[in-house]
Amino acid sequence: MEETVGPSEMIVHLGPQHPMLPGPFRVNAKLRGETIVDSEVEIGYIHKGIEKILENKTYLQGITIVDRICYLEALTNEEAYVGCVEKLAGIEVPERAQYIRVIMEELSRIQSHILGMGEYASFIGFVSMFMYTIRDREDLMSVIDSVTGARITHSFLRFGGVKDDLPDGFKDDVKYVFGNLKKAIDQYEVLFSSDSIYKARTVGIGTLTADVAKDLGVSGPPLRATGVAFDIRRDEPYLVYNDLDFKVCTQKDGDVYARIQVRLDEMRESMYIVEQCLDQIPSGPLFPEGTAYGKRSPVMRIPAGEVFHRVEAPRGEMGFYMISDGSDKPYRVKIRGPVYPTLQALPPLLKGVTVADIVAIAGSMDTCTSEVDR
Amino acid sequence: MDANSIIASLSDKFPDEIYDTDIESNIRIVAKVKPENVVDVCRYLKDELSFGHLCCEFAADYPDRNGIEVIYVIGSYDHPVILTMKALLPRDKPEIESVVPVYWNANWYERETYDLFGVKYLNHPNLKPFIIPAEMIGEWPLRKDYKGFPNRTANNLV
Repeated sequence: MEETVGPSEMIVHLGPQHPMLPGPFRVNAKLRGETIVDSEVEIGYIHKGIEKILENKTYLQGITIVDRICYLEALTNEEAYVGCVEKLAGIEVPERAQYIRVIMEELSRIQSHILGMGEYASFIGFVSMFMYTIRDREDLMSVIDSVTGARITHSFLRFGGVKDDLPDGFKDDVKYVFGNLKKAIDQYEVLFSSDSIYKARTVGIGTLTADVAKDLGVSGPPLRATGVAFDIRRDEPYLVYNDLDFKVCTQKDGDVYARIQVRLDEMRESMYIVEQCLDQIPSGPLFPEGTAYGKRSPVMRIPAGEVFHRVEAPRGEMGFYMISDGSDKPYRVKIRGPVYPTLQALPPLLKGVTVADIVAIAGSMDTCTSEVDR
Repeated sequence: MDANSIIASLSDKFPDEIYDTDIESNIRIVAKVKPENVVDVCRYLKDELSFGHLCCEFAADYPDRNGIEVIYVIGSYDHPVILTMKALLPRDKPEIESVVPVYWNANWYERETYDLFGVKYLNHPNLKPFIIPAEMIGEWPLRKDYKGFPNRTANNLV
């Protein structure tokens, strides 16, 4: 963005601490009247250096660190990290552990979408929606808590398996929570689609077309809202997604309203996946038999090599590139987060809209600054 | 389009510029590229082989080889193959042409790599301090010989 301003132009800084921005980042917007002429996004306020930290931790210690990249997608972050190590070391995960991972990751996808959606509604002034979603999310968090023992930073996955088995009565708990949640999601949809003020703020705002979205490199719900059926679970299946029946939810319009609709549909689809898993899950061990891998793995040396493993996180494509030199610590880890390109795509989206729409568009991308500044 | 035909097409078009190609599996291929040709190769990948999705771009430091490797992980929306392309730069003067004209979202990846490794991207539209404070430029914290971790980085926060 050019620092010089023309006549009747001015630069307004939104953030880094703004009540409506999820995490600190700054939007510098050049305005003419109330219209944004040009803008730029500044990040780096909470850079944690996780890539450097991972180089100095053993592989097992790394699991707790990748949780902290973004607390809403802790389980999918772990999946990407653990998957890298498993590919490098050639560890086969037993089927029961794979099913448990899928169940937990889909549950965490639902809670992430539900919170993202509620937060988004509160960003544009629909605060009661936020209260509804927080209430319904709480039951889901209790279900996740009953398996992993933690609400947000789980450290649940291990190389070759998972830490704990599902507790007794888990299936009934999930059935009960899903019964309520399905009604709640139907209600959200009615609330969203019947509210004329909400529609006026979202329909036709921040529109992305499929070609532009591909060019900008966005992934996840913002891309699927433009009609591109790009989903890692379908295109590059990991775990047992090959055996499960689910559809990739897409919308055509590519605007803010479509992005929220994709999230609503994906929550229903995730519940369907979890129900299938609970019906199909086989009994068996949680770790590969006859190996040293277990709940408390010994210090392990991973064979030298390089691998790129990606998974479908709630917000899009989460990938880890890991270089191992044969020691007990990774030589280099690159974290490719889904929000990084999404946040980068804000300035082109903001061009020509009014100041009031900045929050509506930025919020609909479900950004997580913690993951951008990892 | 599968891994074999992509490798064949690449080595056909760039016989000297691309070397050390390898097929790791049917969805992962690796190639090394000469740094001065990286933009041409990327443009060919995007236009002819439908590699339209830059997953990420980053660097890795190898003091024992006296080099910094810039790594491009490029995927596609149309086929499942992912290409890992590497360019080795000298450690004392790491400079490479920016691929922002081809892949728009390389912009932030390159700025971040400059901050952390000191890889200078030529003709980059906006190569200024990004995620670390401006006074830390020149320390290149993610290089292997960086002495400040963790104390110096923690002091900076206070």
